[in-house]
Amino acid sequence: MTLPRRSFFQFLARGTGAIVASWAVVKGISATVFREVLPARSVAPTNQKWVMVIDLAKCDGCRDCTRACGAMHFVPPMQEWVKVFEVVDNPAAGRYFLARPCMQCDNPPCVRGCPVGATFKRTDGIVMMDQERCIGCRNCIAQCPYSARAFNWGEPPHTAAELSQPYSMEYNYPHRKGVVEKCIFCPHMLREGKLPACAQGCKMGAVYFGDEMEDGVTNSKGETIPFTKIAKRGAAFRLLEELGTEPRVYYLPPASRKYPTPDEKKALEMHS
Amino acid sequence: MISKREAHLLSTLNVASPRFYQWIAFLLAIVLWGLYAYVHQLRHGLIVTGMRDEVSWGLYITNFVFFIGISHAGTLISAILRVTETEWRRPITRLAEAITVFALCIGAPMVIIDLGRPDRMLNLFRYGRIQSPILWDVLSVSTYLTGCILYLYLPMIPDFALLAEQSSLGAWRRRLYKKLSLGWTGSATQWTLLERAISIMAVVIIPLAISVHTVVSWIFAMTLRPGWNSSIFGPYFVVGAIYSGAAAVIFSMFVLRRVLRLQDYLEPVHFRNLGLLLLSFAMLYLYFNINEYLTMGYKFEGIEKEYLTRLFFGDYAPMFWTVQAIGVFLPLLLLIAVLGLRSHKSLTIPGVALASFLAIIGAWAKRYLIVVPTLSSPFLPGQRIPWEWTHYRPTWVEWSVTAAAIAIFLLIYGLFSKLFPMVSIWETREPEPAMTEAAPAASPSSNWGSISSISVILLTLSLAAGTAHAGESPKPRKPAPTALSLEWQALPSDKLSASSAEDGPPDSFTAGRVQNGLSQLFGHLSFGSKNAENETPPSVISLKATLKDASGAPVAMQPVSFSLRTSFGLVQYGSRPTNEEGKAELIVRDHRYGKYPLLVAYGGDDSFGGARAEIPVDFGARPAPALPTAGVLIAPYATAAIGLPFVMFYGFMWLVFIYAFGYLILWRMRRSDRDKQPH
Repeated sequence: MTLPRRSFFQFLARGTGAIVASWAVVKGISATVFREVLPARSVAPTNQKWVMVIDLAKCDGCRDCTRACGAMHFVPPMQEWVKVFEVVDNPAAGRYFLARPCMQCDNPPCVRGCPVGATFKRTDGIVMMDQERCIGCRNCIAQCPYSARAFNWGEPPHTAAELSQPYSMEYNYPHRKGVVEKCIFCPHMLREGKLPACAQGCKMGAVYFGDEMEDGVTNSKGETIPFTKIAKRGAAFRLLEELGTEPRVYYLPPASRKYPTPDEKKALEMHS
Repeated sequence: MISKREAHLLSTLNVASPRFYQWIAFLLAIVLWGLYAYVHQLRHGLIVTGMRDEVSWGLYITNFVFFIGISHAGTLISAILRVTETEWRRPITRLAEAITVFALCIGAPMVIIDLGRPDRMLNLFRYGRIQSPILWDVLSVSTYLTGCILYLYLPMIPDFALLAEQSSLGAWRRRLYKKLSLGWTGSATQWTLLERAISIMAVVIIPLAISVHTVVSWIFAMTLRPGWNSSIFGPYFVVGAIYSGAAAVIFSMFVLRRVLRLQDYLEPVHFRNLGLLLLSFAMLYLYFNINEYLTMGYKFEGIEKEYLTRLFFGDYAPMFWTVQAIGVFLPLLLLIAVLGLRSHKSLTIPGVALASFLAIIGAWAKRYLIVVPTLSSPFLPGQRIPWEWTHYRPTWVEWSVTAAAIAIFLLIYGLFSKLFPMVSIWETREPEPAMTEAAPAASPSSNWGSISSISVILLTLSLAAGTAHAGESPKPRKPAPTALSLEWQALPSDKLSASSAEDGPPDSFTAGRVQNGLSQLFGHLSFGSKNAENETPPSVISLKATLKDASGAPVAMQPVSFSLRTSFGLVQYGSRPTNEEGKAELIVRDHRYGKYPLLVAYGGDDSFGGARAEIPVDFGARPAPALPTAGVLIAPYATAAIGLPFVMFYGFMWLVFIYAFGYLILWRMRRSDRDKQPH
């Protein structure tokens, strides 16, 4: 192949010029297309980072949290936004109860997968759910490893109290057919400075809730503990940590339980 | 001009037996029934299906994956054979390409049928997020469908011109063919342009086809679920798709040969060659199955244990092993027997067709086994829910819609075979000019970046509080009034690491995280990274309370309790005793940001009365509100790292379509004869 040296250098110079020019164009386009400013709805009303701590040693599986949540959000029957699981980790271990709200992950698979941004992360850590935008593809249900999402397969039965209010993303009702719903940490309660329904409803005081940046979590009994202290001293863990979803819900291990075990309860009932 | 076998081919367009009309009526009845079922579903919602929160995808998604899979081989086989200039391909390309187009037309709406709110479908375009696999599907399937329609249409142009001149056809059909032929006269310029357009399309359709089924598999592979969370899913789906698609091509060849009596065109050599292709893909698919299930089954660990138990030994086992037998092993053995043994040579056509039929049935069932068992084995198995929620059974609605989908496919294919010749007339008549062009495929590039070190901002503000005024009270019985004053000071934070061995090392979960993205080019794009850098380490606050009596003398050895008011309650720090100077000190090392009222209280005793004081304490500025850096792909706007490869790849495809069809065919070919310029 005979290529004059001069034309080779010309080729190099032109190629470099073309690359630099296209670089500038791509950078210009990317600056406008891939914007940096968050949309208004992704910015929370307050600069807080909500966090929940559930003390499994105190959770006796009464499901008051599920009921309180259901009453507040008029959760349709057969749906449980806060679900209480009965867990036996291995055949030798005793059973314990595990309340599972939405984990409000910091690396949420559901938000990643939502094709229309109907579920989105807010700056206060809450993974919100917009029932007015959801197209019902249920990709988020497939994505969520905690099974924390529910779908309105049919028209949910309505109550007058539920229908009396206009729809708001902050309480997720009135409910509607064909969209996904989930626990959202009761943002309308947080606005009023009140604990979410489940934390308020837990008679055992097992559910602590607060602002991570405030470093304080409070339960229904008014006990407020620095979050870092309860998490560190209590060796708090997060559910399915190995998946890297970075939940905002922490659990304290069910060690030295503060309630009678189900077997003990049965024995007590038999005695009385 | 028209030979005898071509005359026969043309007669298939004209002659329709009563059995054809019966067949069409039968299919129409199924379609109407399916339509009724779908309207029923629209009215009542997806509650009429067997899907529930546990198994939230079912038959519809199975059908979607199946039909997209079936669509694979047609165009791919045709394109590969065209690019390699294989001569025996000529009679089969059109029927293969038609399968692709119609399978896509049936498969893509399956997702819409599965939507809970099909009325909001356009939200995909209004609010589409390129980070979502669903949007990748929209992008890839629409591009692929467009490409396949063009690729089916282009080689039909000369045939349209030919058909437009056939007086045996009805007037309206001839007008239609004339329109569709785009002014084709068969001049040398037109031939050159058409060949060029076809060869360009043939080249780009190969990477496009591979990409589409990879993207379909990513809907599943991009989740964390057991059985889906697998990096092999892309190639596994592509091979499975080509296997099922090749089977569909062979089976349709078999049917068309019988029904339209195309023995002159579809010869045993076609069945033999495609049978060999099917055989090799059956072996490849077997390899992928073994690779997928052996690597999981060997370890038999973690969350996959439950899934595999159900699949290998549990409730899905009968179906799983039947599908492996019918879908893979049986076709494999049949093909080896028919193609490999000389004594069975006469059975080539029925044998290969039967193997294809089994492969198609197996492919559908395999898609079902990919979708459903994974969903019914979640990380947290449901408790206190009805049995049907975890054991998915499709309802009559789903079965009806599925039957209607298959019926529509057969219906369109049947009508197409009556409207257009299923075998290319011009391609089977003369040798084709050689291919000229090859287009490179776009490849995504990515870059790794890291976030810079955390900058430290320390606030050293101090406030002083006044002391109480003086007063005399010598009576020992009545408690003397006291006054508390409180002051606070932020200590340097390096004291934190030195003195707090108990607290462990300072948090580094944001600093250690590697960020994904084209950070050099799009450094400004990663969400929240700047805020993470600005995050201040928590201040160490020293609180000093001074307890004095009414005269101003310090009160020693008295407990003073400290507490801090947060949004929901008081954080109690307990009590500290005062020293001789009446001072009690507390050092707070909480990870706290913002200003909080700090309360100090003295309960009092027999000789001194109680006192309390409250001052705001600043623990340092809160970091600006931002999305967590952990979720790189959760940004509300398009992410460059994910968006660019997809947009570039499919955008390139659209540019090629515009060039090949818009410019070469619509612009130049249509005008070439009008200008009457000799070439």
